[in-house]
Amino acid sequence: MNDFKINSKHKIDSGFKIPEDYFENFSEKVLLKISKPEPKVVTLFYKTKTWISSVAAVLVISLSVTLFTKIAVKSTEEKLTLENYITNQSEISQYDLVALLDTKDIERIKIDLKLDDKKIEEELINSSEIENYLTE
Amino acid sequence: MEEKDFIQNLLNPKTQNEAFQKLLLDYQKPLYNHIRNIVLSHDDTDDVLQNTFVKVFQHLNKFKGESKLFSWMYRIATNEAITFLNKKAKQSGTTSSFLQTKILENLESDCYFDGDAIHLKLQKAIFKLPEKQQLVFKMRYFEEIKYEDMSEILGTSVGALKASYHHAVKKIEIFMIKD
Repeated sequence: MNDFKINSKHKIDSGFKIPEDYFENFSEKVLLKISKPEPKVVTLFYKTKTWISSVAAVLVISLSVTLFTKIAVKSTEEKLTLENYITNQSEISQYDLVALLDTKDIERIKIDLKLDDKKIEEELINSSEIENYLTE
Repeated sequence: MEEKDFIQNLLNPKTQNEAFQKLLLDYQKPLYNHIRNIVLSHDDTDDVLQNTFVKVFQHLNKFKGESKLFSWMYRIATNEAITFLNKKAKQSGTTSSFLQTKILENLESDCYFDGDAIHLKLQKAIFKLPEKQQLVFKMRYFEEIKYEDMSEILGTSVGALKASYHHAVKKIEIFMIKD
């Protein structure tokens, strides 16, 4: 085989053989496929796709709900411990806290009692200690 | 019949069936050979050939007549065959070239392959080539497709195709002389 030349007269074929009668019913097969497309394959895939996405959605929602409540609980717990710490452990007095308030904070903690003068008067008259107040 | 008229018949619902049957009869054998040269096994070729004709039918109204019907169909068949190999490789978790090695190994026992030493050796020699050279060599040597047509099918210039084929032949000749 020392003089092997690919373009010589003796061409080598590909060596592939085709089963007998293969082409006899080939066009029928194709025409059948064209007239009857396979929607089932598509829908099945589509269904699994929606299934997967709905499962994923449920997972995300349930996870986020539990995580959110956990975080929320945690933060209220933290607030409580912080408050307890301030009132019991630290050396911050009420006066220090009051000094820290600015006008906005004061505005916020103001409670409108909605008292009118008449009611105050009535209360004072009916109360037995009015004289004590007056003398003071 | 002029190709223009034939395409008109393919698009016209009244004449479509008859025209498509003619298309099937004219192209089933050459396209079979073309696909078989790429995917190698008969069963895979059967799958790809059917898909090719289904795709041709589905896309008939997108065929704009810019290229010849012949090269348009060969282009679809080539794409289908290559996509098929890639998909098959992906499904079995390997690369396309590893899959081809496996198929090549199976050729020896394939009842639809002439198991001669020379045929087998030639297939092995082709397999050693880069992918594009493989395709060019098979289309030129086995299928005897003209460079001009091949250029339209593969979207490569005639000059580049000739160079590719030349390289392929040189490498195959060296491989065939070895042991």
